[in-house]
Amino acid sequence: MTTSPLLVPPPPAAPPLIHLTGVTKTLKGQDQPRTILAGVDLTVHPGDSVAILGRSGSGKSTLLSLIGLFDRPDGGQYLLGDRDITRIPERKAAALRSAEFGFVFQRFFLLKHLTAAQNVAMALVNGQGWLPRRKRKAKVLAALERVGIAHLAKHKPPRLSGGEQQRVAIARALVREPRILLADEPTGALDTETGNLVVEVLRQATDVGCGLVLVTHDHDHAAKMGRVLHLSDGLLRPAGQRVVA
Amino acid sequence: MIRLSGRLRASLIIGGQGIRARKLRTFLSMVSLFLGVLAVVVVQAGAEIANRAMLADIELYQGKDGTRQMYLSPEGQTVPVALEVLRGRTDAVAMTSTRAIIGEPGVKPINEGGGPIDQPGGYGPSMMCDANGCYPIDDGTSGAPPGQAVELQLVGLTGDIRQFRPFRPSQGRWLDFGGQPSLSPGLVLNEEAAKAFTRYHVPAEMSVDGATANPTPRIVGVIDDGGYQPTAYVRSDELMNWLPTTSLGDTRSGPGLQVLMTPSAVEVEHVLRARLVAAGTPADQVRVTTVETLKQRSTELALMRWIFLGMAALVLLIGVAGILNVGLATVGERIEEFALRRAVGTPRLLLAGIVLAETLLTGLLTAALAIGAGVVGLQLALTVFGSRFPSLEGTAFPWQAGVAGVIAGLVAGILGGLVPALRAARIPIATVMRA
Ligand SMILES: Nc1ncnc2c1ncn2[C@@H]1O[C@H](COP(=O)(O)OP(=O)(O)OP(=O)(O)O)[C@@H](O)[C@H]1O
Ligand SMILES: [Mg+2]
Repeated sequence: MTTSPLLVPPPPAAPPLIHLTGVTKTLKGQDQPRTILAGVDLTVHPGDSVAILGRSGSGKSTLLSLIGLFDRPDGGQYLLGDRDITRIPERKAAALRSAEFGFVFQRFFLLKHLTAAQNVAMALVNGQGWLPRRKRKAKVLAALERVGIAHLAKHKPPRLSGGEQQRVAIARALVREPRILLADEPTGALDTETGNLVVEVLRQATDVGCGLVLVTHDHDHAAKMGRVLHLSDGLLRPAGQRVVA
Repeated sequence: MIRLSGRLRASLIIGGQGIRARKLRTFLSMVSLFLGVLAVVVVQAGAEIANRAMLADIELYQGKDGTRQMYLSPEGQTVPVALEVLRGRTDAVAMTSTRAIIGEPGVKPINEGGGPIDQPGGYGPSMMCDANGCYPIDDGTSGAPPGQAVELQLVGLTGDIRQFRPFRPSQGRWLDFGGQPSLSPGLVLNEEAAKAFTRYHVPAEMSVDGATANPTPRIVGVIDDGGYQPTAYVRSDELMNWLPTTSLGDTRSGPGLQVLMTPSAVEVEHVLRARLVAAGTPADQVRVTTVETLKQRSTELALMRWIFLGMAALVLLIGVAGILNVGLATVGERIEEFALRRAVGTPRLLLAGIVLAETLLTGLLTAALAIGAGVVGLQLALTVFGSRFPSLEGTAFPWQAGVAGVIAGLVAGILGGLVPALRAARIPIATVMRA
């Protein structure tokens, strides 16, 4: 594996982007509550790329939804920089989702009545309203350029290939210049070649200091990340470390 | 403030995008809402127009709202004093009213008593009533044979009264109050009086109660004054050439006197009152009343309007149910979109605003169409029926109906959009991960 000099972890004095310790989450099951996360520890520094593997139903998406402030943990502590956001109220969480995080999902979730550019611009709406039109356009175009599809800005999703659509979705995640990118099986709906391309686009974001957490089932994709972790029994461990039953 | 307007703008733009993306849906919502909003617009417009038409007719006869009027009985020096004080004034006009007969001398007029021309028999001889009872006025025609003459009310004016009673011109011209009075009095007839002149061959000789001789009048024009009795209007100075001052003080045959004043003519009222009292008119007889038709009629008008608006509101409610139905179905379909919007940082409130903006815009769009339909409908109705209702001539679409339409559209938009908006705001974000 080739590592660019930028991927070298920064000196330990720099605070991590995110720092989770002992995070737990229990969801209401059909009969009784089920503990999905039983004390997850995770630290991501600027420029870090982390792959999370785990079998279906192990709680990967649940973990990502806690990191991305879609939901709050039941226990443990979650620090963003040095700010404790374990129990942040929804209004502030929305502002953080907009300012700090970028999201990519298995399905692209593009609005088919909007052009690629409008889909990207959608992420620029936040509690302050919308950026002025001119600034908005410049940012959107820059984001589309970063994922290599600026020429498709005026196309609507039904006319784009799966790979192109996912790149529009990535541009939407990048347009706010987030500090952390969260991707939940972004290649799940793509063929191998397109999947590789998408993972490469995501990894490139870490070159400029963005943190990346990639949930995937694909070991090849995972291997392209700086660290590979495995989620099972509600705990996150370095991959290869076998759980002794 | 900047924040709020930024959000408002964002909601409107994104809401607009949503509307354009679902044209058929929007169209269906609009169809369901259209009749309701139209009903509100039509009721409001109808009420306004009926109101105005009614007022226009009343104001022809009684004077515009706010006009202050004084009735004086023609005792002593009252009439000459009033005429003198008000000569040449524009903010107050005195009207004397006398009985006159135009036509063959010494015959019984075709409308004895001054009643409408078409009523056979008329009112019978003129009656005079006082504290001792009523008795016919002996004007020397009671025993006379019927002939070609018209009895009418002759109204002498010290100035132009059209500022108080906006007569509608019908033929010829109105009285000219400038220049020297003519010895041959210029008359303007109302339509009822004009009827007699077109129907019968009436010679131009006029006998006026109390006059020294019979002048030869010139008829200069015809107007609609809203009255049913034949009436002729004349410059009072032209009339006074023929009436001796002594006859003006006669309570039996002397003229009735009415003074019309603008609301601001306070000074002239003071002067008139002072002069009248000085001339011997009892102070308690100089009383002023104000025309308040609108106020008097407003309760019944308002009641009617509310009844109709209530029915319109019911129709509107059905439209709201339609928009609500479409809105809820749409939210169900757009769960992923809303979850995604929340995931990328759109706050709940703004999301609700976006959904609400869609129905609000739909409501406003419908209102615009309904108002447009109302304007076109009114124009059509006026071209078809306008000639039958002179008081409706030149009626413009009342702005109140436009406002009512916009309000109805907004209210329907809010009612129809609120529940979907709240639902949209409650969609959990994690939906995007399970889909
Ligand atoms: N809203 C919920 N209420 C109750 N249980 C839930 C809820 N959402 C998910 N779960 C359960 O939590 C567990 C973890 O789900 P999660 O989606 O995090 O798994 P995952 O690791 O992402 O799986 P996959 O790889 O299939 O996407 C699953 O067993 C699921 O059934
Ligand atoms: Mg998952």
